[in-house]
Amino acid sequence: MSATTVGAERRRGSLMAFAYLVPALVVFAVFIFWPLGKSVLLSVQGTDIIGNPSGFVGFVNYTKLFSDPDFLQVLWVTFAFTVLTVFPSIAIALVIALLLQSRIRAVRFFRTAFALPFAFSVATASVIFGVLYNPASGVLNGLLSYIGVDKVQWLTDPDLAIWSVAAATVWMQLGYNLLVISAGLGALPEDVLEAARLDGASGLRLQRSIVMPLITPQLFFLVVVGTIHALQSFGQIKILTVGGPQGTTTTLVYSIYEQAFANNNSNYGYASAQAMVLLLIVLAITAVQFGVLERKVFYR
Amino acid sequence: MSRIRTARGRQSGIGSYVVLGLLFLVVLFPVYYGLVGSFMGERDTNSFPPALWPVSGLHPENYGDALGIIPLGNQYLTSVLQTLVITAGQMVTSALAAYAFVFLPLRWRAFWFGVFLSTMMIPYESIIIPNYLLISQWGLKDTIAGLTLPFLATGFGAFLLRQSFLSFPMELRDAARVDGAGHFRFLFSILLPLSRPSLAALGIWSALSAWNMYFWPLLATEDPRHQTIQIGISQLQTSDGDSPGMVLAGVMLALFPTLLLVIFGQRFIVRGLTAGAVK
Amino acid sequence: MFSSSRGTNRLRYAVPAGVASLSLLLAACGGDSSGGEASGAPAAGALDKASGVTTVSFWHAMDGKNAEVLTKLVSDFNAAHQGKIEVKATYAGKYDDAITKYKAAIQSKSTPDVIQIYDIGTQFMIDAKQTVPMQSFIDRDKLNVGDLQPNITGYYSVDKKLNSMPFNTSMPVMYYNKTLFKKAGLDPEKPPTNLDEIRTAAEKLSKKKGGPADYGFGAAIYGWLLEQFIATSGSEYCDQGNGRDGKATKVQFDQGAAIDVVTWWQKMVKDGLAANTGRDTKAAQAAFKSGQLAINLESTGQLGGYSEAAKQGGWELGAANYPHVKAGETGGPIIGGASLWINGVGHKDANKEAAWQFVKFLSEPKSQATWHTGTGYFPNSKGALNEPVDVEYRKNNPLFDVAVKQLEGTELTKATQGCLLGVMPQARKASEDGIEAALNGGDPQQSMTKAAQGLEAQIKSYNDSVK
Repeated sequence: MSATTVGAERRRGSLMAFAYLVPALVVFAVFIFWPLGKSVLLSVQGTDIIGNPSGFVGFVNYTKLFSDPDFLQVLWVTFAFTVLTVFPSIAIALVIALLLQSRIRAVRFFRTAFALPFAFSVATASVIFGVLYNPASGVLNGLLSYIGVDKVQWLTDPDLAIWSVAAATVWMQLGYNLLVISAGLGALPEDVLEAARLDGASGLRLQRSIVMPLITPQLFFLVVVGTIHALQSFGQIKILTVGGPQGTTTTLVYSIYEQAFANNNSNYGYASAQAMVLLLIVLAITAVQFGVLERKVFYR
Repeated sequence: MSRIRTARGRQSGIGSYVVLGLLFLVVLFPVYYGLVGSFMGERDTNSFPPALWPVSGLHPENYGDALGIIPLGNQYLTSVLQTLVITAGQMVTSALAAYAFVFLPLRWRAFWFGVFLSTMMIPYESIIIPNYLLISQWGLKDTIAGLTLPFLATGFGAFLLRQSFLSFPMELRDAARVDGAGHFRFLFSILLPLSRPSLAALGIWSALSAWNMYFWPLLATEDPRHQTIQIGISQLQTSDGDSPGMVLAGVMLALFPTLLLVIFGQRFIVRGLTAGAVK
Repeated sequence: MFSSSRGTNRLRYAVPAGVASLSLLLAACGGDSSGGEASGAPAAGALDKASGVTTVSFWHAMDGKNAEVLTKLVSDFNAAHQGKIEVKATYAGKYDDAITKYKAAIQSKSTPDVIQIYDIGTQFMIDAKQTVPMQSFIDRDKLNVGDLQPNITGYYSVDKKLNSMPFNTSMPVMYYNKTLFKKAGLDPEKPPTNLDEIRTAAEKLSKKKGGPADYGFGAAIYGWLLEQFIATSGSEYCDQGNGRDGKATKVQFDQGAAIDVVTWWQKMVKDGLAANTGRDTKAAQAAFKSGQLAINLESTGQLGGYSEAAKQGGWELGAANYPHVKAGETGGPIIGGASLWINGVGHKDANKEAAWQFVKFLSEPKSQATWHTGTGYFPNSKGALNEPVDVEYRKNNPLFDVAVKQLEGTELTKATQGCLLGVMPQARKASEDGIEAALNGGDPQQSMTKAAQGLEAQIKSYNDSVK
């Protein structure tokens, strides 16, 4: 067999292998990479009233972004919303997961019950919270009235709205976080825990000094995934506050939606510039994840 | 020793039960109220302070009202179709790609795998505008195609199945080859059936995500008859003549399939969710 | 969306740099195009020359009950024009979605023959240059449009030329709870007529001052309501004669009557006389329906729902003219709703003609009476009020006559014609931002100024792009 036929055969084999990738690659090309390039192009163009690109404007959309006080508020809201959702949802899930590790009755029941929020979509959870938060007849204000607290404007008070939306989001994230942490805890060898117990380590100390380091990969994963997820939050804002009051719940993604699709806006150029900011933030976080996960996080 | 452990266990148990019980009440309350509220009449939900259980009788007709006020039946069907198409599409494209990555002599393997992984780094919201323009220009709004096309492949799925295929014993594969099984036959009648847990994980994962989608269906549909149930229930709220009970009934209907999945398919979900988290 | 949200995983390989350039390359291949000029009405008889059935595509934004009545009207029309014209009605989403969809259709040259667009999209529709002005059909047919309420056609006219045919029209009125008025010792037949009087009444009505209602007054933070106050005070919302003399360059809700209203509103909230229920109109409606509010500002469209709530709750509903800002003012409110546009660019003459027949049909007295009584919208046709079904309807809903009298009593001026502005939807939202900021404790003048100034760049860039 000559070298050329081997080469030809290999090429043919590779071509056939490539054919297996084609279905997925076509989808990626048409619905991810082409749109990505298009987003970049849109972001350096103006937009006419119909939504057509109206010619290249260079970085005008970008300079406009960072001189627009509303957009600075958007960035701040996005940051605050992320912090307010990611850490509490992990902390609460961690507490529940650890409690479920101790020897209690009906642990299976609790495990399933606490995972239930995971079954809720953003829309279903948001609609329920919308009912609970209703200022006039909502259950939350109803319960508060029993202890003499006046009606709280959960979603229309500018100081409170982001907390309320964040609380609903924490709830939505809880089931997922719990599943991930529990899986991590479940994978820990019983003998490690047993040894720690025999040493007299107990309760908090056991958990802080032995268990926690062992599940850092899970926690770190949750921080990263949770952050990216929080950055992408949209449904709860659309359903609960439509970005208000006074823009205090307008996050980056909601702002993109508003500029591009709401309110007879079709500022695709300006919205695309915002989309690029979102992309860069997510890429940066992924890069951090990549770097840190490889080095810093404790592995067994 | 075992006595000591039991005693200690019970001791810590009391504190645990209290904290756990409190958390249980707080976390499960929205679930409880969603379910019970869906059977409450307006007299209960609109009174202040509102009732915590159906004081004035059960109102199962809320469900009928929810189905009637917007075409929730159609929307259910749309959601089911959308979910099936996306799930099937993702499983097929992922399985094919993962197979090539693991078993076939692919050139530039690292490059192509990088392309697949890179799709997971791009937040969908950052490319949603061109996708919207594309789907409307193709006249695919209000169609299953418009709802599903952008999601027929996922880097995550290829990644997940690749991990599973990598652990496939090479001897088995060689044995199959000797038997004369072609690539397709090997993939579909030997490899995939043996990779069922990972496939199930991917399937459940794709189905949950597809069923729960919100942003894209919001843009890709206008006609209530062609909207998904997620959009439908969020608009129950703003429709005329709504009552909280009816709105919650709609929520419960939308929730039903995923609730079953979470209760009965938890171990598969965990596998899918944590594929990247658990080393 | 979901693959990256929860499924993000550790990356083993760096993203190939080539991907980025690949994306750009792919994207550069796509092209865009835009439409041409709109033409006038086709010669009469265009339809006769067409063979077979001419299909008219019609996009509307009506859902629920309204859609049912519209569907009935469409099938009536189709039945009457069997073998000649068939109208295919499609729901295009709510107003905002419909206009977004329409923009996409312009890009892909697939606009419908007829589209229903909300009032505040009027200037946009003119600037989009896709439609045939209604006036050119009217002039061609020498049609007498005296039957249409001039205050309604006024909104959709520039230089006395009608651009689109009004279809569903609503008006703002002041609703009040007569039962609560009686409990507070107020005369239920003498509702307040201006802001000061509302305040005086609210002081008797509000719980804070020992009254029977939680709050004497409450209205949604809805920009439309501020527009109404500006009109009833005789002021203009935007410059250039409310955009009727030329392209408006700025909004004027940061001065005069608007500031009076916002200042008054803020004080009412601060003193516990008015509820701040936020922007969600449903919230204010629910509060009024459940008797928590005694006075509410809303559209005529709510009459049905409010009457029903009053009947169930055992209280008596009242309706009165939209209040003036100050005593002695004589202006009236602006109409709202939506109108029908006939698309010209890229449409055959036969389709334009068939579309015109359909639009004409919808504004006939009989159709308008069916529409009015079925939906609660205001009839555009004077004659509709004499149709038996309409007379019957108003006998059962006597409060509707308040709106009829209010409309007939409003003198058509530039103030009551309403502002024509390309970015009117955005302007309305900006005014809501301003009101919201003020009701939450901001300085009224500063809040409204900030909102108005924020619009200047948008207005300028809009005007520049349609030069």
